[in-house]
Amino acid sequence: MFIKNTWYVACTEAELDGLGAKPLGRTICNEKMVFFKGPDGQAVAVEDFCPHRGAPLSLGQVCEGKLVCGYHGLEMGCEGKVVHMPGQRVRGFPANKAYAVTRRYGFVWVWPGDQTQADLAKMPTFEFFDNPGWAYSGGLYHVQADYRLMIDNLMDLTHETYVHASSIGQPEIDETPCSTSVENGQVVLQRHMSGIQAPPFWQMAMSANGLDPQAKVDRWQICRFTPPSHIMIDVGVALAGHGGFHAPPEVKAYSVVVDFITPETETSHWYHWGMARQFKPQDEALTARIREGQGKIFNEDMQMLQLQQANILRWPDRPLLMLNIDSGGVQSRRIIDRLLAEEQAHGVTA
Amino acid sequence: MSTIDPTQAPLPGDGCFEVHLHKSGQTLQVRPDQSILQVLQEAGHEVPYSCSQGVCGTCLTPVVAGQPDHWDMYLTPEEQAQGDAIMVCCSRSQTARLVLDL
Repeated sequence: MFIKNTWYVACTEAELDGLGAKPLGRTICNEKMVFFKGPDGQAVAVEDFCPHRGAPLSLGQVCEGKLVCGYHGLEMGCEGKVVHMPGQRVRGFPANKAYAVTRRYGFVWVWPGDQTQADLAKMPTFEFFDNPGWAYSGGLYHVQADYRLMIDNLMDLTHETYVHASSIGQPEIDETPCSTSVENGQVVLQRHMSGIQAPPFWQMAMSANGLDPQAKVDRWQICRFTPPSHIMIDVGVALAGHGGFHAPPEVKAYSVVVDFITPETETSHWYHWGMARQFKPQDEALTARIREGQGKIFNEDMQMLQLQQANILRWPDRPLLMLNIDSGGVQSRRIIDRLLAEEQAHGVTA
Repeated sequence: MSTIDPTQAPLPGDGCFEVHLHKSGQTLQVRPDQSILQVLQEAGHEVPYSCSQGVCGTCLTPVVAGQPDHWDMYLTPEEQAQGDAIMVCCSRSQTARLVLDL
């Protein structure tokens, strides 16, 4: 079960646009969808099912803004209505579900649930996209694990010490307690470390921002979960004693880790990860270096989550522990469960 | 005693109508729970058909007399108004008798 009356990231605009005349098949919240570009270049999604013989429409081709089935040439229009098929009258053909889709922030967003409730005003807003004061870059991983395991992972960064020992991990993370709060339907988990040595990733970022990488720093991690499954994490280091997160920009290197976690099935998800930063936003070489570094780090998470999921499936009846470090994930799941119950109560899962 | 032409008479209250086959001369009864196609098949007439829901046009059959009651999505409204063809899979009769060119 998934929260469906909400916006999820389906793909990047670059991924869809880069496919040319090919559509993009993607399952989101257990709904098999096909994304393509309509006649005006707008992003469109319909059920990935040809009403003729059930072939996946995603095997077809886009021609003049219509999706042509790769089996017998049925032409699907943007509204989910069949518009043409060679040798046929298509007036009585059953329609496909068409999904509300919009392009924003470099992503294609989709509303999987009740289409009459789709509302652009419910789209989350982010200051760092489309903003020349910030640089953003990221990537996509297809993770074979329950999307909530990714939420747990990102809402408890003590794993960095072990999973990411060579890049962002350090023992001070384990040694510094975190605090969790729930504010306005958002879970905030934070940890502030003082007077420590920056780990390798942050030393690189300090150098890139003209700071002495060996200097003692105050380091922070502020994880913010908003439903259905977006997690933004303020991360950074500032020269020690300047106020940490609140230190002036010239003495710190900091960024926002951007996580859009889109369920695919009960045991898999699409993970759009990225980093937005304010230091040296025009430095494209630095952007590329950060993306490469982050990609390696998040690949370590993916490996762990996939093996964790496999293990959980092997021992389905074993309960899992929820410790003090897990409170961020526990609170996030509580919000998900509440919203799921609300949708179930309203009978809106179509 | 005057004879009423059943292809001009309205459908009787029980919803049954008869289908007369112009070429074979056979007359068949269609009950409300049957389609014309089913009745034709049961009488041994292999009429081409496919979707069985008025979409594909395969079972298009010429009408000689009587007024069809169109339920299909294949014929245009203009074609339906002409009344000279019927989708036997789903459409019915507005008159007590329909004469098909079979």
